[in-house]
Amino acid sequence: MWAYLVRRLLYYIPLYLCILLVLMLLLRIDVDSAVAGQLGKQATPEQIQLKKDKMGLNDPFYKQYAMFLGDVFTLSFDQRSWEQELPVGEMIRKALPPTLMITLPSLAFTAVISIAVGLVCSFNRGRFLDRGLMIAAVLGMSVSYLVYIIIGQYFGAYVLGQQHGITPFEIEGYEAVFPPIEGSDGAWFVPGNWIKYCALPVIIGVGVAMGYDTRFYRAVMVEECARDYIVTATAKGATSKKIMFVHMLKNAMIPIVTRIMISLPFLIAGSILVEMYFSIPGMGRTMITAINGKDFPVVQATVAVFAAFVIVTVILTDVCYAIVDPRVRLS
Amino acid sequence: MSVVRALGRVCGCAVLAVAVGTASAQEKVAQLPIRTDGPKSLDPVVGSTVYDNMACAQIYETLLVNKYAKPTEKEPLLLAEMPVSEDGGKTWSLKLKPGVLFHDNACFTKTKGKGRELVTDDVFYSFKRLADAAYELESWWLLKDTVEGFDEFKRIQNWRGSMPERASWLSNQSPETFKKTLFDRELKNRLDTALKDKDEDEVAEITRKITEQFNKDLTPADLDTLAAEFANQPAATFEAAEFDYAAPVAGYRKINDYEFEIELVAPVTRFEWVLTMFQTSIVAREAVEKYGDDFFRNPVGTGPFMLESWTPKKDLHLVRNPNYHEVMYPERGEWDRPDQRNRLHRAAGQQVPFLDRIEFTMYAQDQPMWLQFEAGRIGYTQVPDEYFPQAFDKRTKELLPSVAARGIRGHANKLLDFIFRGFNMDDELVGGYGPKKKALRQAISLAVDLNEFNETFYSGLNVVYDGPIPPGLDGYPEGGTSSAAYQGPNLDLARSKLAEAGYPDGEGLPPIKFYTQNGGNSPEQTELLQRQLSRIGVELDVQLVDFSTLIDAVNKKNAAMFSFAWSSDYPDGENNLALFYGPNEAPGANHYNYKRDDYDEMYEQILTMPAGDERTAIMVEMRDMILEDVPYVGSMARERHYVINPWLLNCKPTERYYAWFKFLDVDDSKRPER
Repeated sequence: MWAYLVRRLLYYIPLYLCILLVLMLLLRIDVDSAVAGQLGKQATPEQIQLKKDKMGLNDPFYKQYAMFLGDVFTLSFDQRSWEQELPVGEMIRKALPPTLMITLPSLAFTAVISIAVGLVCSFNRGRFLDRGLMIAAVLGMSVSYLVYIIIGQYFGAYVLGQQHGITPFEIEGYEAVFPPIEGSDGAWFVPGNWIKYCALPVIIGVGVAMGYDTRFYRAVMVEECARDYIVTATAKGATSKKIMFVHMLKNAMIPIVTRIMISLPFLIAGSILVEMYFSIPGMGRTMITAINGKDFPVVQATVAVFAAFVIVTVILTDVCYAIVDPRVRLS
Repeated sequence: MSVVRALGRVCGCAVLAVAVGTASAQEKVAQLPIRTDGPKSLDPVVGSTVYDNMACAQIYETLLVNKYAKPTEKEPLLLAEMPVSEDGGKTWSLKLKPGVLFHDNACFTKTKGKGRELVTDDVFYSFKRLADAAYELESWWLLKDTVEGFDEFKRIQNWRGSMPERASWLSNQSPETFKKTLFDRELKNRLDTALKDKDEDEVAEITRKITEQFNKDLTPADLDTLAAEFANQPAATFEAAEFDYAAPVAGYRKINDYEFEIELVAPVTRFEWVLTMFQTSIVAREAVEKYGDDFFRNPVGTGPFMLESWTPKKDLHLVRNPNYHEVMYPERGEWDRPDQRNRLHRAAGQQVPFLDRIEFTMYAQDQPMWLQFEAGRIGYTQVPDEYFPQAFDKRTKELLPSVAARGIRGHANKLLDFIFRGFNMDDELVGGYGPKKKALRQAISLAVDLNEFNETFYSGLNVVYDGPIPPGLDGYPEGGTSSAAYQGPNLDLARSKLAEAGYPDGEGLPPIKFYTQNGGNSPEQTELLQRQLSRIGVELDVQLVDFSTLIDAVNKKNAAMFSFAWSSDYPDGENNLALFYGPNEAPGANHYNYKRDDYDEMYEQILTMPAGDERTAIMVEMRDMILEDVPYVGSMARERHYVINPWLLNCKPTERYYAWFKFLDVDDSKRPER
């Protein structure tokens, strides 16, 4: 397996270098306009030139590319954001934890609940329960995420607090769930902060994602239901619980793993809408602000990290296949 | 009896002590919003947005400041008195307030972290930072061409480092820029060497050669040759010292640690306003040197608050500066009647700040900000357009009785806005000053109904007015309308003007290239503009582009018509009239490339005149000249509405300046229970 992993990694390195090259070329197509945009409509040619000097944009392209590769492979990202003046590495380090506090639980809850619902639906295919749950799933998918956020924030945080005096969730904001020891009276884990600031966005996220995932997992399970081994198990007198959770789930793991692994890179991308509405200083907000502001160093660094995650995930997916299905051999 | 009195006094003192103890234990904290992602930097010289201003103005201070009760007027802040000029505004004498201390900070090693006193050198140092290219000259425009010898200082000090690429850049500049830049560099390097060697003949020879070389006009071929020579110079030739803050500037003259003079190139009325702008705030040199690139998040000033923490895009916490100098709340007489009815004078004559902490939260979206206000958790908020009907009566713009009954106060501010659609006066189709060209622009202006824009896109909250001078300033027409204006909608007159221009019913008129930004509701606004103009047969060739492309097109004079907005830098109509001053043409602020000698002469005249009827009369004449020539279609200004929770005291939000948070106070008994 290790030989396989090394081979795959070597295969992906040139691809990764190409991604970074294309990214940098694309961002430099109209660099003058981007710099002028940074400086505003009063920018003089002298200011634009100074800014370009400071940003290293007057250096030859190969030098800029080499420096960026250096940043990527040392994971330092020392270059400063054009908008915020902060080192990009520091921005990413600070934005990642809030994002993961939302996306990790969302993914876990969505996967567990959706798989369970998918199993139940497939086993009760065509019955009232199946139809009812699928209608709910379609309804969930049909309404915009933004609507859920606005309604969830209004009723889940504001109305609950103002009219009923129950305030488990804050309207907006974020406090670290795992704060640095020196700034938190020694507490390294503050679950209350997660409930206050992250639980509502997670509930909304799970609610929305369940619509898509449930339908997918149901389709996978329905396909499995028609397999011979299910008929054999039923004939042998296995209980429906055993058939569902032991036989069917195990055999449906390949598509399940694929879907979950595909979602992994997006864990670090965060959710732009949730982070904007709940004032969570995460990766989604950082990225969209950088893209809107043509903040190239941040865009470059976040895309580089994201691409690296995608590649690692693809390789890990293969490994997971081998783990969940003994017939798959990594060679 | 005396024993009883003594006992009474003891008991009284004890009660008082307990009360004082309790009061001091109870911190006064105000939670306030910053709409959008908040400041980008806490270094005033690189700040440009209102959010940078909002944050910096609490930490740093300027020499002068707008008055809280009357923001269109100014008063001394770090100065002991208003600047005095005895030669009609060319030379100004300024006297610093003694005893003003910088925030305590580890950067003050000599005083073991105690903030030292502000002196004249700090003022010169802070102003010179505006000229330092290391800060990208973001705020240089404030003092450009203003102070005697300062532009020269800036040019000389910023030539350092050897970069052959600069040669090719220089060769693309105007001959004037090229000459000056190269001359300075030559002067600095060759003369310095000769001077060091005390070779007087060499000095004279070099000076003569340089003067001879650059006194003649340079052709493009000369420039190429010079650029090539420049690029071939060995690197060491151009190595110069770091930006030398100790180098003198002719216009900055120190008298002593508290008194100094500033000599201007020419008397300019706006100079005093420049001293109120946050970019000219005074910073501690020790902090800039200690924190270097991180000074922007380690600010040290003299302001009423000090930075406690700042998480970009999330929050900014400030704590009271315990060593803040003597600044009093405005006296009762300074407040007008409506303000007195709102009890804004209640703290008259008291030392500020009242708050121990300010906690700013950044809101990228309006809903959470509005809900936090409704829940009583933030002190005040700007009312987003979509929430206006929830707080105000749309017709009367008065606070709804149900809202007022909760003790919430409303407040409105007319902004110094100039929202318009401009014409490029150099454009072959829509530009020009002849009667036919003017008639075309007049026709377009007459076809546009700004009130429909106001109702459709701004809930009718904007102010529609004639001329480039926004409401509240000298030169603003009475009632917002001027007889010189070609304000629409007047379709009959528009059609006849169009015929006069040689395009009856738009026949023969090609589509006009109109550049506008593709964000927000610009596409919808453009649809409406197209519909309105189609009524007289005028077609637009719409270019929906991003902001940088828009600027580029306007700066390169490629946009026949474009959509922009301008917000006055200081409350003087001169600031807006500068937008039509010939020498400011694109890529300067005169995006219209409007050029009229008589207008320029009048502008130069008002620049040096003190405010008064005579100056206003000239400004009105200039305004009407613009209205007749129609270099733009406009104008509109936004009116901002605020709501203030009952627990936030002394609050009169204004966007003219942001150093007013020190006057705020809180009454915790009026806060909703959580």
